[in-house]
Amino acid sequence: MSDILIRANNLSVHFPLSRVGFGERPVVRACEGINIEIEKGSFFGLVGESGSGKTTLGRAMLKAAPISHGEVIYTDGDVTYDLGSLKGQELKEYRKRSQLIFQDPYAALSPRMTVRDIIAEPLEVMGLTSSREETDTKVREIAAKCRLNLEHLRRFPHAFSGGQRQRISIARALVSDPKFIVADESVAALDVSIQADVLNLLNSIQRERGITFLFISHDLSVIAHTCDFVAVMYLGQIVEAAPTRKLFSETAHPYTRALLSAIPSLDPDVRGNAQKLEGEIPSPINPPPGCRFNTRCPHAQDRCRSEVPEWREMTSGHHVACHFSEELMG
Amino acid sequence: MTTPLISVKDLTLRFKTDEGLVTAVNNVSFDIAPGEVLGLVGESGSGKSVTAKALMMLNADNAVYDEGSKITLNIDGKEHDVLSLKRPAEQMVIRGGAISMIFQEPMASFAPAITIGEQMVEQLMIHSTMTRTEARDISVEMLTRVGIPEPAERFGQYAFEFSGGMRQRAMIAMALSTKPRLLIADEPTTALDVTIQAQVIDLMKDLVAEYHMSILFITHDLGVIAQTADRVAVMYLGNLVETGTVRQVINKPSHPYTRGLLNSLPKLDDLEAPLTPVPGDIPSPLDRPSGCVFHPRCVESGDIAERCRTEIPVTTFGADGHQVDCHLTNPRDQAGDQA
Repeated sequence: MSDILIRANNLSVHFPLSRVGFGERPVVRACEGINIEIEKGSFFGLVGESGSGKTTLGRAMLKAAPISHGEVIYTDGDVTYDLGSLKGQELKEYRKRSQLIFQDPYAALSPRMTVRDIIAEPLEVMGLTSSREETDTKVREIAAKCRLNLEHLRRFPHAFSGGQRQRISIARALVSDPKFIVADESVAALDVSIQADVLNLLNSIQRERGITFLFISHDLSVIAHTCDFVAVMYLGQIVEAAPTRKLFSETAHPYTRALLSAIPSLDPDVRGNAQKLEGEIPSPINPPPGCRFNTRCPHAQDRCRSEVPEWREMTSGHHVACHFSEELMG
Repeated sequence: MTTPLISVKDLTLRFKTDEGLVTAVNNVSFDIAPGEVLGLVGESGSGKSVTAKALMMLNADNAVYDEGSKITLNIDGKEHDVLSLKRPAEQMVIRGGAISMIFQEPMASFAPAITIGEQMVEQLMIHSTMTRTEARDISVEMLTRVGIPEPAERFGQYAFEFSGGMRQRAMIAMALSTKPRLLIADEPTTALDVTIQAQVIDLMKDLVAEYHMSILFITHDLGVIAQTADRVAVMYLGNLVETGTVRQVINKPSHPYTRGLLNSLPKLDDLEAPLTPVPGDIPSPLDRPSGCVFHPRCVESGDIAERCRTEIPVTTFGADGHQVDCHLTNPRDQAGDQA
């Protein structure tokens, strides 16, 4: 096994709600008992429906969401950070090494700042450059990498299309030379013809600079094309994780199968043979007992309703949390 | 050839703005037969929604329809010239009568402070002679029909108490309760998760079969189109660049833009295939390119680039109503592709 850049051990993120009457205070269990390891230089995909806790997990990895239980460990060469207890100078150091690219390129850029100022801001805030000339050189270099020219730097975000704005967001995330980037639904708001362009850009950046990506998306076909490794999330838990190829060829969890078959096929002659999921994702305040997927699972049995499935390694590198994976695949 | 339910001919639509007249739809013609699902595909800003709204005269007051534009609705052997209906009373023939529409964002389409049931009853009472009790019964029945559990209880709830998928189902129930001949669905599944999207698509297919309605299905997702539509129309910057049966357009695309859209899609059966974006961005409608509107982004024009830049392509007609507006491509399947 090669280097692990960042790992989550039994990570849980809970958000307390206000008390209703007497009794225990209700809690939103956004993430529960997450175990993932992200290899250095990899493109790690995280997929799931809305409300599955993808974004919360991504933010916990950046110490932007509270870690309730468990730990997140970042290791790069001789530095090791335990995100749960990180503060002060060390937290500032970690902020330089990790960045976030947001979903909506229209909301993520300040309308009152020029593109140059937007990209330069992280450098100035973190004190990474000592003079204006140095900042400018750095901004220009990164902008060129993201195919923005000098003319663009003088303008304000309103003058740009969605794809160009997303390239500005990417440039801003890259300028502090981070080691770890969380891309949260970074192409969801873009048209398909532009989406391919941004995906290709992210891939080339990853190859050139060896940056590790946590790529969050609800779209399995996008994940399949960009990521080396995929984790599937459902209601705050990871239900299956495997190298991309394996996940698609040896799908072990019924939820992953349902997600795959729900993608509309491009072939008009293959209609309506999708395996349909009934119902909707339950509330994370009161998740179903046993396997959390049991309310929608077409194969659910009594055991699934009482016993929480163990997170186990089926074959090398392929983890799943389901009692009956072997039988389903057989 | 049966009479089409609705026939759009040479529709050109501009908006008066401070920057001058903006062309949103340019010379668009298409027909929808009774019981047919027509998919309208294109990127954001291509004029899909504006075209659909024109069918119901829902565009804002600054919309200017060109002289030659004509939209004809054929119901029960009578012809209605949609664009000549000016007064709200006349427009009742289309609005809530022959045509209903469902929108992309189900949260924004319901009034937040009125119960779902009240909104369904209200529109039924406006568009028919039903009593309140009848309207209520029909509304509850429609909610049951679209698969909402405990419909009688749901009837008295507000939009915020529904999940996204449920809201979209309620929206469909509401649109169908007046028994329209044509349902316009403007990106009905875009805001939904894939598993919920699959449920909604199934529901719409069932309802089309049951009520023998036509649907104008607007989406940017070619996969959704492949699964739902009978015929497809591809729009780019206000122009219809290709129209044909779903098999013609998806399996043998004839316009470089349709091919570009298909090539930029990630495909699950071939993970190694590179993603090829359509270069550049969709131009501003204020600054429409000369000649073929797609020429600045076209990678196939090659030797005839000059012609594409200056000359507007005429429509080439192929087998089974396959139409393409391109200098380069005649429909490739003239040998009689029986789709």
